[in-house]
Amino acid sequence: MEFRYFSLLVKDTKVSKFAEGLERGVILATKCKKCGSIHYPPRHDCPKCYSDEMSWIELQGIGKLLSFTTIFVPPDHFSPDLEGTAPFSGYQYRPVPVGIVELENGAHIMGWIPEIRRKEIHVGMMLMPRAEILPDGRATIVLAAVGE
Amino acid sequence: MRKVGIVGIGQSRFGQRSDASLRELSFEATKASLEDAGVPIDDVEAMVVSVASDELSYALQPSAQVVDYLGFNPKPSFRVEGACASGSMAVRTGWMTIASGLADLVLVVGVEKMTEQSTAAVTDVLGRAGDFMWEYPFGMTFPGYYALIARAHMAKYGTTEEQLAMVAVKNHHYGALNPYAHMRKEITLDKAMNSFTVADPLKLYDCCLISDGAAAVVLASEKLARSLSKKPVWISGLGLGTDTISLADRRDITTLDATVEAARQAYDMASIGPKDVDVAVVHDCFTIAEIAAYEDLGFCAKGEGGKMIEDRRTHIGGDIPVNIDGGLKSKGHPIGATGVAMAAEIAKQLRGEAESGRQVPDARIGLSHNVGGNGQHAAVHVFQVD
Repeated sequence: MEFRYFSLLVKDTKVSKFAEGLERGVILATKCKKCGSIHYPPRHDCPKCYSDEMSWIELQGIGKLLSFTTIFVPPDHFSPDLEGTAPFSGYQYRPVPVGIVELENGAHIMGWIPEIRRKEIHVGMMLMPRAEILPDGRATIVLAAVGE
Repeated sequence: MRKVGIVGIGQSRFGQRSDASLRELSFEATKASLEDAGVPIDDVEAMVVSVASDELSYALQPSAQVVDYLGFNPKPSFRVEGACASGSMAVRTGWMTIASGLADLVLVVGVEKMTEQSTAAVTDVLGRAGDFMWEYPFGMTFPGYYALIARAHMAKYGTTEEQLAMVAVKNHHYGALNPYAHMRKEITLDKAMNSFTVADPLKLYDCCLISDGAAAVVLASEKLARSLSKKPVWISGLGLGTDTISLADRRDITTLDATVEAARQAYDMASIGPKDVDVAVVHDCFTIAEIAAYEDLGFCAKGEGGKMIEDRRTHIGGDIPVNIDGGLKSKGHPIGATGVAMAAEIAKQLRGEAESGRQVPDARIGLSHNVGGNGQHAAVHVFQVD
């Protein structure tokens, strides 16, 4: 899968394997071969030790919800005028909350929260980040209820 | 390093300025600032222009339009950019130009023309100041980013939606007294609380306006400043901090570490502490941003920002009056102009020339705080009069 099927506009990157990971159903991060730092979002280059040698790791497990919001005034690229072509339009129209979870290893992951009623979402709850392929073939990340 | 003072200030009226282009707005502010300084454009040796967005202005190097329209050719000019903090970066660059000895008289102009584009388009362009590669795909907008900050702040510190609304009520109160403000009207707590949700928990009145406008300051070296002005406003401290491009990557999203760092630098340079500040303008692009700024600038302890507004400690008469010009909330936020307008407002306050009802009595030390993006950049400046 091309990276732009996740990013919408960025096509060229040294970490395009991230999108291939989503296609396979996994969320990938990079780990610096020199200093061991884990980078999510993945980086090809380590800002801590300046190594450009990375290995890929799969992020797993549940995370604690740090914050969330529902955006009712969408940006142009999600606006209803673009129905049919808008990325993730199905999610944005309902609209779907967006949140950030913190995994045990410290990685912070942003994702949509489509499956839980808005009133039941609260900071501190545990959610499971997972890759999701949308009906239009694009890939994204969903923060799913635990135990499903 | 040489001492640098503000000797001239000017501002266009902020608002939906369907009567004026980018360059014409710049002229309004520049003309006022040069008249205030009592110098012609011919005497200005260098110029710094802040325009935040090529996309909003439809043009590359929008600063070239401004420089030419002001009749400044062929002297040196350059543009600086840091999203909503562009204006403070321009002030800093103007300060550097004089402190280094490159010039004695510098014009700093900030301008933005935003209302020619649709709200959705502006929301999209501004959203791309955040992490364009990793967070934009989740439909993130600026209200969305600050909503995430607000929700986390509420969960961690018990800050309430009412406290957020109180910031809007205060800033609209002072903005109504500012002839240059975009929305010159008081609002009630009820009205703010019952406005529609933009990105929960933020409602319409938690969000700043989309505005057109320009601001200008004339900076001079110490000797020249003393000869031009009866009351030069010295820039005595400057700080500039940076932070992660992804909001999700932050150590703690309830704090803008860039602000904490910039404040530390500025206080150190000016040899003052937060308790010494008599008047401040802070970056209230959203009400939660003002509450976090109280904390990150050291005006109160972390987590007590909500209580600080509730206890009216940032109104005139309180510990430290904040955004007595209406803030971005009511005065408006033409993004490239904002940081320059902040410097102009503090100079006005320290000169004792603000309009009745919004002048802080006997103010001698002022502070401006200007954030770029959702905290990727933050600039803090300290201003003083003799």
